Amino acid sequence: MTAPPGLSGGRSRRVRGRPLLYTSYAQDMALLDTRAKRVWTGLLVLLAFAVSVVLADRSLEMLAVAYALAIGAIGLNIVTGYAGQVSLGHAFFVAIGAYTAAALSGPPGGDTLGYGLAEIWIWLPAAGLVAAVAGVLVAPLATRLRGLYLAIVTLGLVFLGEHVFKEWKELTGGPGVGREAAIPQLFGYRLDQDGPLGTKEQVLYLLMLSLLVVFAVAARNLARSRVGRAFAAIRDRDIAAEVIGVPLTRYKVLAFGISSFYAGCAGGLLYCVSGYVEPGSFNLLLSVQFIAMVLIGGVATVSGAIAGALFISLLQPVTRALPALVPVISGDTTQTPNVFQVETVLYGLLIVLFLVFEPRGLFGLWVRARNYWKSWPFSY
Amino acid sequence: MTGLLESLIRGLGNGSVYALLALGFVIIYKATRVISFAQPALMLAGAVAVSYLAEVTGFYAAVLLAALLIAGVALVIERIAIRPMVGRPVFVVAIITLGIDVVVRVVVNGFIGRDVRQVGDPWGFAQVSLGPLVVQQRWLAMLLVTAVLVTLLFAFFRYTRYGLAMRAAAFDQETALAQGVSVGMVFALSWGLAGFLAAIAGMFVGTGQGIEQLTWVIALKALPAIIVGGLDSLGGAVVGGLAVGVVESLFQSYQGEFAPWLGQNFAVVTPYVVMLVVLLVRPYGLFGTREVERV
Amino acid sequence: MKSRYVVITAAVVTLLSACGVIRGDDEGSKGAQTTGVTSEPCPSAVDSKKGCIYLGSISDLTAGPFAALAVPITEAQKAFWARVNKAGGIGGKYEVDVTKFVRDNKYNPEVHRQVYNEMKDQVLGLAQTLGSPTTAAIIADLKANSVVAAPASWTSAWEFEDVIIETGANYCVEAMNSVDYAMEAYKPKSVMAVHLAGDYGADAAAGAKIAAEKNGLTFTAVETPSGATEQGRAITEITKNKPDLVILTTGPADAATIVGQAAAAGYKGRFIGTGPTWNPALLKSPAAPALKALYEQSAPGKSWAADTPGHQAMRDSLPGVTPNDGYTSGWAWAYPLKAALDAMVAGGDVSRKGLLAAVKSLKTVDYEGMLPPEAGNYADDPNTATFRQTLINKVDDQVPTGVSMAKDFFVGPTAKDYTFDGPCFAKL
Repeated sequence: MTAPPGLSGGRSRRVRGRPLLYTSYAQDMALLDTRAKRVWTGLLVLLAFAVSVVLADRSLEMLAVAYALAIGAIGLNIVTGYAGQVSLGHAFFVAIGAYTAAALSGPPGGDTLGYGLAEIWIWLPAAGLVAAVAGVLVAPLATRLRGLYLAIVTLGLVFLGEHVFKEWKELTGGPGVGREAAIPQLFGYRLDQDGPLGTKEQVLYLLMLSLLVVFAVAARNLARSRVGRAFAAIRDRDIAAEVIGVPLTRYKVLAFGISSFYAGCAGGLLYCVSGYVEPGSFNLLLSVQFIAMVLIGGVATVSGAIAGALFISLLQPVTRALPALVPVISGDTTQTPNVFQVETVLYGLLIVLFLVFEPRGLFGLWVRARNYWKSWPFSY
Repeated sequence: MTGLLESLIRGLGNGSVYALLALGFVIIYKATRVISFAQPALMLAGAVAVSYLAEVTGFYAAVLLAALLIAGVALVIERIAIRPMVGRPVFVVAIITLGIDVVVRVVVNGFIGRDVRQVGDPWGFAQVSLGPLVVQQRWLAMLLVTAVLVTLLFAFFRYTRYGLAMRAAAFDQETALAQGVSVGMVFALSWGLAGFLAAIAGMFVGTGQGIEQLTWVIALKALPAIIVGGLDSLGGAVVGGLAVGVVESLFQSYQGEFAPWLGQNFAVVTPYVVMLVVLLVRPYGLFGTREVERV
Repeated sequence: MKSRYVVITAAVVTLLSACGVIRGDDEGSKGAQTTGVTSEPCPSAVDSKKGCIYLGSISDLTAGPFAALAVPITEAQKAFWARVNKAGGIGGKYEVDVTKFVRDNKYNPEVHRQVYNEMKDQVLGLAQTLGSPTTAAIIADLKANSVVAAPASWTSAWEFEDVIIETGANYCVEAMNSVDYAMEAYKPKSVMAVHLAGDYGADAAAGAKIAAEKNGLTFTAVETPSGATEQGRAITEITKNKPDLVILTTGPADAATIVGQAAAAGYKGRFIGTGPTWNPALLKSPAAPALKALYEQSAPGKSWAADTPGHQAMRDSLPGVTPNDGYTSGWAWAYPLKAALDAMVAGGDVSRKGLLAAVKSLKTVDYEGMLPPEAGNYADDPNTATFRQTLINKVDDQVPTGVSMAKDFFVGPTAKDYTFDGPCFAKL
């Protein structure tokens, strides 16, 4: 495309105070299209890094897990949110990543498979790639199916995967036993131990946060590329997409592959924090949790997926604090309205309430709030 | 040979439970185009209701009461959480049912407690001889009750006003609406029926071994059954359920002997294997309607 | 532009990481003497002049397969420590709190590790860590930080861990003794171990295998998933191969299904289940007649109604509960920890290290008659210290827990001669 002279420069031509006036195609397609977005995103990232020196280790650990989950949620959002292929099989790809990472980084000669490659820059891409290969292998079957058929087939994948992981004891330690998870090590420096860079939790927090930023930016870039537009076309109407020249099979396979790559990386990272992984974890519940993150956060938005992951992971500690505030709810599991029951009920109810009242999820709430203030005090 | 036949009967017995659950899924799907993931919770709730009511009213009355009770619960769920979602993407509604499933199960688990609850069925592990075969009575009961319920259900769809309304709405919602069919009523009826069937299935799952908090997982085996049969085919649901039950039972009996390399307990995942194999050949299941794509 | 972002980000990371080093400990609580010990009184103190020792409990409290046992265990331990506190606490200086840090592990090692991480900086030791595979998930951390823990499981691996203070014979010994007992009572020719995966099931299966080899019996092992509805294959294996003796290590619901359905299918052999396979509620299940006819339970300790001072004290401390041997086990598990805490306070070094040293000094523990004192030997090497006496219970619907003793504490010839040189389950 050749732009008329004077308009190609994009950002330099921006009119102050008119954030929605796009004067060039590049500007419309920019990663962060308005100045406010750039500033605030930058500040938010800075703030996220800064809290690592402020928060207590327990909270940092929780956030580190949330960030790893967010990477997985972004992955699911690529295939389900952007490309519209409903997958209940995300837990399967997460498992493949977790075990690839654990096996590569595990100490050789132990009870379970280990190759002693603890360097994170080896096992993290490997975990993603192995999961992506699995995704690509599954995709041809998936491309023949649509909608709920696809959802249930991917569900079957979770069950088959669970069986394989439970039986493959050399790799996984077997059901109810489990194995040590991946060991994060960077240039010989263990990231899951207290060291010169800070406590274990601080280091892991920074690791997860940096990776999340990388993965999030990559996903955002993908979504605004030719591939992302093809995904959206398939989601909105696959036949129409085919008619306008989008090769369906290729892009569906690509969507599954990329999504599985994210899932695999998330799987590898997720279990670094607790350090232990059990094959029973990769069940329907985990898949549903990822779906819940995407839906509660906001379908087809990267920021939504991150918000959803944070929301779901922080739900637990928040409810755990309830007994101190609401005397009816007991912290003792032997009594009946106890925190664990409340936690589960809240989880279910929130999914229902969000979908009934705000189908765009947290992102939708944000958009509403933004629109309210944009025209304040004349908002209605 | 008797071993094979006994194994088959066990499979048909368990399969008929899957068929009841699968029918619930398909009825809701046909009416609303949504797969209700709340079925497991309703099944568990039915079994728990039976186990409490049986102590008061006796077993058979308890089954009927529990089934009606769960049908009522299903109606309430439909009215509160599903009806407002008419016209929203089906997948969103499906996820809502997942949320409902989680909530209902917490409540039901509170009633189950930590011990195994017995449903108070008269069959237990009692056996009966059919010629050379020795089979458990409960499997025959499952088969028989399912046969009767399926017959009644098909008669309902074929010969009653409401059945006709449901078929009409399943065929084309807007046209049915234009002809004076209350689609809301059809939605409600489909959930009620599914709840009713789920409760009966739950009761059967509880016979013999009793029910515990983890029993809900059984209901998920009906999902491959409906895919095998075809999402929108009632007959397919029955065939799919029975097929899944039989294959699972045969694998339980013979896989350890003939294919040990598949790993112990492969039988647990056979429903999904059957599903994948069928889908490779027929993407819409054995009896499902092929979607016609018009550009 | 992008490269500038990268540079800035990198700079910020380095800067913040540098700051991270100097970040102080933000968990400081008032009155703390050492991790998990305060000079402030316990939240529900009997005597508010005494300090408080906090012990954590991680148990299967809601959804796991052993919840029906785990809740009584936890309750019994609360009652046990309440009794200790009433009787003057530990060394007259401290009371013990086991109510503040009670967490659910859902019988999942991952969750176990997670809740352990939540509480580990606030407790001196663990009054209960339920499950073998679950505890295996935190054992490295327990060892690294010298956290003494009383397990709620009987795997043979605990014999080899200093920080774990086990009570009663392990599953491996229990299964050996069961096979030896059956040799006397039923003269079997073949043994099948039907077991859950992991340390619990595999430990007993390994013991059965060792005893079967010693006695010249044919042995097969069948691993089965937990869940009453998933036992079809185990039942088929039993009815097809017709072993004379089946050693069960599953959950109670699984055991009832297996025994009930195998008996219904005409199986006539014997079942001996390890302690956790039994639950009095099974007597109300359709499997009850089959259980009465074919099943016996091996156990590491005497049942609820036994006549010892310890049992009596337990019954007095738990008025009005439905009898269940979860209470008995939970109560008995608490004795060594009490002995160790007493020794620690007497020794003067109130800390994790001090507690571990106290544990290593224990040669006997006063179980008030619930177990012989030598069951509490944590000083000697594993092979010497391993306690090898178990007993056999039979189903009896006249007593509240549904089982009564068939054979008092005994050591079978297999267990007597066996040298413990590593966890049994590794040898299956």
